[in-house]
Amino acid sequence: MITAYHRPQTLDEALTLLARPNTFPLGGGTLLSHPSADSVQVVDLQALGLNQIKKSGNSLEIGATVTLQQLLESELCPDALKRAIKLEAPLNIRNAATVAGTIVACDGRSTFVCGLLALDAKLAIANRKSEIVNLGDYLPLRPRGLITSITIPMNVKSAFEYVARTPADKPIVCVALAQWPSGRTRLAVGGYGKAPMLAMDGDVDPSPGGRGIQGEGVEAAARNAFHEAKDEWASAEYRQDVAATLAKRCLDNLKA
Amino acid sequence: MNITLSVNGTEHAIECAPSETLFTVIRRLGFYGVKFGDEQGWTGADTVLLDGKPVNAGSMLAAQAEGHNIVTIEALGEHPDQGWKKTEGLHPLQRAFVESGAIQCGYCTPAQILAAKTLLDKNPNPSEDEVREAISGVLCRCTGYLKPVQAVLRAAAILRGDEPVSWDAVNWDFGKPPEVGPEANESPSDQFASLLTKPKVVVTPQTQAWQVVGKPEKKVDAVKLVQGKPAFAADIEKRGMLVAKVLHSPHAHARIKSIDTSKAKALPGVAAVLTWQDLPRVVWSTAGQSDPIPGPLDTFSLDNKVRFVGDRVAFVAAETAEIAEKALTLIEVEYEPLPAILDSADAMKPDAIRIHDEPEYVNFADSDPARNVAAKIRIDIGNPDKGFAEADHIFEGEYSVPKVQQVSIEPHVCVTYWDEDDRLVIRTSTQVPFHVRRMLAPVLNLPVKRIRVIKPRIGGGFGGKQEVLMEDVAAHLTIATKRPVIYEYTREEEFIAARSRHPMKIWMKTGVKKDGTITANEMRVLSDTGAYGCHALTVTGNTGHKAMALYVGDGEYRKQPNIRFYADVVYTNTPPAGAFRGYGVPQGYWPVERHMEKIARALNLDPIEFRLKNAIHPGEYHPFSTAWNEGREPRPEIIHTVGLEQCVAQGKAAIGWDSKYGNEEWHRNVPSTKFQVTSEKHGTWNMEHGTPSSAKRKGIGVALVMQGTAIPYLDMGGASVKMNDDGSFNLLVGATDLGTGSDTVIAQMVAEVLGVPLEDIITYSSDTDFTPFDKGAYASSTTYISGAAAVRAAEMAAERIKVRAAKMLGEVEYSNIRLSNRQAIAPSGKSVSLAEIALDTLHKNEQEQIMGIGSYVSPSSPPPFAAQFAEVSVDVETGAVTVDKLVMAVDSGVIVNPLTASGQIEGGMTQALGYAVCEEMRYDDKGNAIERDLDRYHIFRADEMPELETIFVETFEPSHPFGVKAVAEIPMDGVAPAVGNAVLDAVGVNIDDNPITPEKIWRALKGK
Repeated sequence: MITAYHRPQTLDEALTLLARPNTFPLGGGTLLSHPSADSVQVVDLQALGLNQIKKSGNSLEIGATVTLQQLLESELCPDALKRAIKLEAPLNIRNAATVAGTIVACDGRSTFVCGLLALDAKLAIANRKSEIVNLGDYLPLRPRGLITSITIPMNVKSAFEYVARTPADKPIVCVALAQWPSGRTRLAVGGYGKAPMLAMDGDVDPSPGGRGIQGEGVEAAARNAFHEAKDEWASAEYRQDVAATLAKRCLDNLKA
Repeated sequence: MNITLSVNGTEHAIECAPSETLFTVIRRLGFYGVKFGDEQGWTGADTVLLDGKPVNAGSMLAAQAEGHNIVTIEALGEHPDQGWKKTEGLHPLQRAFVESGAIQCGYCTPAQILAAKTLLDKNPNPSEDEVREAISGVLCRCTGYLKPVQAVLRAAAILRGDEPVSWDAVNWDFGKPPEVGPEANESPSDQFASLLTKPKVVVTPQTQAWQVVGKPEKKVDAVKLVQGKPAFAADIEKRGMLVAKVLHSPHAHARIKSIDTSKAKALPGVAAVLTWQDLPRVVWSTAGQSDPIPGPLDTFSLDNKVRFVGDRVAFVAAETAEIAEKALTLIEVEYEPLPAILDSADAMKPDAIRIHDEPEYVNFADSDPARNVAAKIRIDIGNPDKGFAEADHIFEGEYSVPKVQQVSIEPHVCVTYWDEDDRLVIRTSTQVPFHVRRMLAPVLNLPVKRIRVIKPRIGGGFGGKQEVLMEDVAAHLTIATKRPVIYEYTREEEFIAARSRHPMKIWMKTGVKKDGTITANEMRVLSDTGAYGCHALTVTGNTGHKAMALYVGDGEYRKQPNIRFYADVVYTNTPPAGAFRGYGVPQGYWPVERHMEKIARALNLDPIEFRLKNAIHPGEYHPFSTAWNEGREPRPEIIHTVGLEQCVAQGKAAIGWDSKYGNEEWHRNVPSTKFQVTSEKHGTWNMEHGTPSSAKRKGIGVALVMQGTAIPYLDMGGASVKMNDDGSFNLLVGATDLGTGSDTVIAQMVAEVLGVPLEDIITYSSDTDFTPFDKGAYASSTTYISGAAAVRAAEMAAERIKVRAAKMLGEVEYSNIRLSNRQAIAPSGKSVSLAEIALDTLHKNEQEQIMGIGSYVSPSSPPPFAAQFAEVSVDVETGAVTVDKLVMAVDSGVIVNPLTASGQIEGGMTQALGYAVCEEMRYDDKGNAIERDLDRYHIFRADEMPELETIFVETFEPSHPFGVKAVAEIPMDGVAPAVGNAVLDAVGVNIDDNPITPEKIWRALKGK
C-alpha cells in the first residue's frame, strides 16, 4: 500500500526523499499504482523536467520520464526501436509508462529493452554520486538509484524482428541487431526470462562479401543465447532455430 | 491527502488516500463513464484523457493527475432534448457510434470515443489504420472493432464538414446472383466502401414490405451508453455499502482442517468474515438453467474442502477494498493437501482420488462421482457399425481444444441490499435474472418472493454470466451485516475463479464411400468440467448434437444417418468450465471440420462439394432430435430451412475462392508484411517487416457449421406491452440484453406489429419484480423465443387497438383495420391516430388499459447455418501465422436488424479468431493458473485485426412470425477449423491441437 506521495520540484529534493527506506521513484505509475501488501512511499518524478529528448552529437539522450509514446513519436527515434516500442504495450499504457520505469520493471518479453540492449544504451543514474551504467550491466541486478536519462547512439543501423501468436501479442522470440560504422555489431534477444539477453557484441565486416564472422556468426550467437530457454511459451529448440532465422533477417535488413 | 483535480474544466477539491487511483476518485466524483476492466490497464475501459491523451485512470494515482486537465466522456455531448432545456446534443463521435451500430454492450464505448477524440482533435482526416491505432488501447470483446472504426471515420467526415456524408450501413441484395471472383465485393456505393466492408444482406422476398423489421435501426439503449450513463451494475451508490472480497484456495485439492478468523474480524473496518461453518449447508449447482437443473448438484457456497486453486475459502465484507484485502491476509487456514487431478485423462483411472465425496451430492442422469464422472453421454443414431462396414475408407483422427475464457470487459459484479420491505435486492450483471432468483432462494434460505433481481445493462457476458457465480457471496454478506454489499471480480478472479469453455480431447472416425458419401460418423469426447459439474452434461451434449448433425451422408444414408456420439465429462482439480458462447459446439467443429478437410484431400475431392454432398437438407429430421434432448425426452424435429448452398456461393464469391484455391501462384504471392507506426508529426508510414516473401505462403480454408436456436419444449420467454396516453408503448421483457441488441430487435418486431416507429417503444429489461419471466440470454434464443413472445403480446394489444379504432371510425369489422405510421387505417381509407385511440380508451369512453401479454415456447430449434472462410499467410521458417481475412456467410433466417446482427458476426468471428490462434488457459503442475491477466491471455486488439466480411443469406423460418433464426453463437464455430484448413492449404501440415501457434506449425513443418 502506498502510504505517502511526494512530488519534488528538484532533483536534489527527489534524491533526499528517495534516500528514505521503502521509498521508490514513480514514473508513469502504470505498475506502482497497483495494490501491494508492502507499505511504500513514492516519489513522483513528473516535475523534475526529465521528459526531454535531446540530440547531442551522435547520441540521443532520452529523459527518464519520457513516455514510451513520446519516444515513439519522436523523429529522432530509430525506426527499429519504434517497432519495438509499439509492441511493448498498448497505446494507453504507452502514453503513461516512462522509459526508465519500463527498464526498471522489464522482463524478458520487453521488446523496448531488447531494442535498447542492442543499441548499447547507457543509463545515467543519480545516487550519492552520479554514474553512467551500461544497460547490459544494469539489468541483472537493477540496483537502487534514480535513472535520470538513457543515451543511445544515433550513428548506428538497427533492425528488429519478432515472432508472436498475433501481430500485437508479446513476443515468443524477438531479436534486435545494431551495427556501428566500425563494424561493431550487437545482437540482443528477448521473449524469454527475466530480461532480454545480449547474444553478441563483436566486430563484423559490414561490407558486402566482406571477411569476418558475418551472418553465420550472428545466427550462431542468436542460437546459443537460447540454449536453455524453455518456458510455457516455447521450447528452447524452437527459440534457438527461430532466433537464428530472425537474426539473419535483421542482418539482411541492415544490408538492404 | 488533499488534492485538486481539474475534471472536464471544473476544479474539484478532494481528500483521498495516497494509494487511491485516479479511477477510484473520479468515480467517487460521479463520473461513471469511466469503467473498470482490469487492474493493469490492458482493457483501457478506464480511459480518461489526461492533457488530451488517453491514459488508464486505474493505472495512475489520483495525486499524479493533480495539475493536469482530465476529460471524461461526460464532457462530450448529451441528449439534445431535455424538456424546456435544449442542448447541443451528442458529440459527432457519439452520434456516429450510435448510427453506425458501433455500440454493443457499451461498456468500452466511452473509452473508445475518448481515444478517437484525441486522434480527431489532431488529425481531421485519418486513415483506417490511424483510427485502429488510436483506439488500440481499448479492448472490445463484442464488436470486432469494425463498426467502431467505421464510426470514427464517419465522425471525422462530419467534423470536416464533408456534407452530405452518404452512408448506407448495409449492402442490400434483392436477388442479384453473386459475382464470382475477388473483385466481387469492390462495388463502392459510398465514400467509406473502399476502406471498410459493410454487411451484405441477401433479402428474402417476404420481408420487403416491412417498415421496421429488417431495417438497420439504432439500438434503443445506445444514447445512454454513448454518454457513459451509470447504467451498469456497479454504477450505483448506496449509503454504507460494504466491499466484499473472497479468500481463494492456494491448493488444487485440500481439506480445510481449521480456519481462524479472529484476527481478520478484529481489523478495524471489517464488518463480517464468513466461513463454511457460518452458512447453511445447501448443495446446489451454479449453472443458470431451467428447473430442474440438468446436471449434478455438487456445489456449496462455502465448503470444508477446496477443489481447485481459486476455490472459495472465506468471504469478507469491509468498509473499503483495501481493508477487505488486508483482512484476507489475516485469516489463518490450516489445509490438509490432497492429491490433485490436473489432466482429464487421469480422472477415471482406478486409483484416482475422488474429488466429490460429499454425502449431499445429488446425481443427475449418469453422473458418477465415485469415478469422477460428472456426466456421460452415449448416443447411437442408426447403425454406425453397419455404416463403417459398408465404407470404402475409414478415417480416424485425434484432436484437442483448449480451455478459454469469456473475457467480458465488465467483470462479474453485483450489489445486494435489503429494501424497505425486508426483501433482498440483487442488482447483478447476469444473463439469467430469473434463474438467479429461483436458484439462490434455497441457498439463502429465503422464499423466491422475498428476492428481487435487477439486471441493469451488462458489459458483455458470452455465457460467463449464465452462471450464478458470485451473487451468493454478496447476498450472504448482506444477510450477515444487514448492509449493502458490492462484490466485483478482479481480472485475476475472472481467470482463476470464473467459468470457461470446456477443454476436450476428441477422437473422430468416419466411414466414406469412394464417391465421397459418408456412411457413418463417430465422435468420442473426453470433456473436462473442472472441479464442478455446472453445464457439464449440456455443453458436451451440444458438442455432438450440433457438430455431428451437419453431415448425415448422402443417398440412402441421408434417409437413415449412422452417427455415434459418446462422451465422458470428468471432474478435475481445475477451475470449473461452464457456458461460453457456442456452448460446446466450437469444440465439436474443430475436429469435425478439420477431419472433413483431411478426408476430402485424401480422396482428392473438392472440399466444398464433399461437404455439401453430405450436409443435411431442408425437410430432413435433425438426426439428434430423435435421440437426445439435454437429458430430457427427445422429440423429433424437422429442419425446414437450410441456406447452406447459398452461403457457400456468397462466401466463395466474397473471398475469391475459385481464383485462389488450387492456384499455386496465388499461394506464393505474399507481399512482405507491413508494420505501421503512427507519428504525431509525420502521420502513419509503413516499415517493411523483415520477413522475405520467399518465406511466406498463403492459404485459404473453409468450414461449414450449424448451430441451434433455443432449446425446444423448454425455453420460455414472456413479454407485456402497454399503451400510453400518447400512443407510445411500454414493452417489458424478461429477456436479457447483454449487449447483443436483443432489446432493440424485440422492440422492432413489436413496432412492426403495432405500426409505430421504433422510438415509440420504450423497452425495459429486466427485473424479476416487473418484467415477465424469461429463461434468460443463452442458447441463441432471445430473438426467436422472447421475440415471438413479444409479438404475441403486441398482437394482443393490436387487436384491442383495432377494436377501439373500428368503433371510433364507425366500422363494423375491426379485423380489416391495419396499423401503420401511428395510425389505425380502415379499408375505406379513414384513419384515427394511435394517440387519439389512447386518449379515448384511457380517459373518455368505456375506459380500459390496452395491453397485451404473451409468452412463447418453441417445439423446434431451427438451426442457423454458415459457411466460414479464412485466408492466412504462414511464415514457413518461423511457423508464424497471420490471418488476413475472414468471411462468413450466414443463414440466420430473416435478419431483424442488419447492424446488430452483423455486429454479432463480426464480434463472434473475432472471439473465435482468438480461439484459433492465441487464447488458452493453462496450469502448472500444482494447478496454478499460468494466465491471470490480459497480458498473458491475449485477445485481439483493433490494430491487428484481419479484414472481416459478413453476408446474410436470408431464409424465412416458418416456425417464427418474422421468420428468424439465431445469429449469436454460430460465428464462434467455424473460424478455428477454417484457419486450420487454410494453414494446411498454405504449407501442407495439419495442426490438430488448437490453438494454432507458431511452434506447432514449425514442428509440423520440420517433421518434429
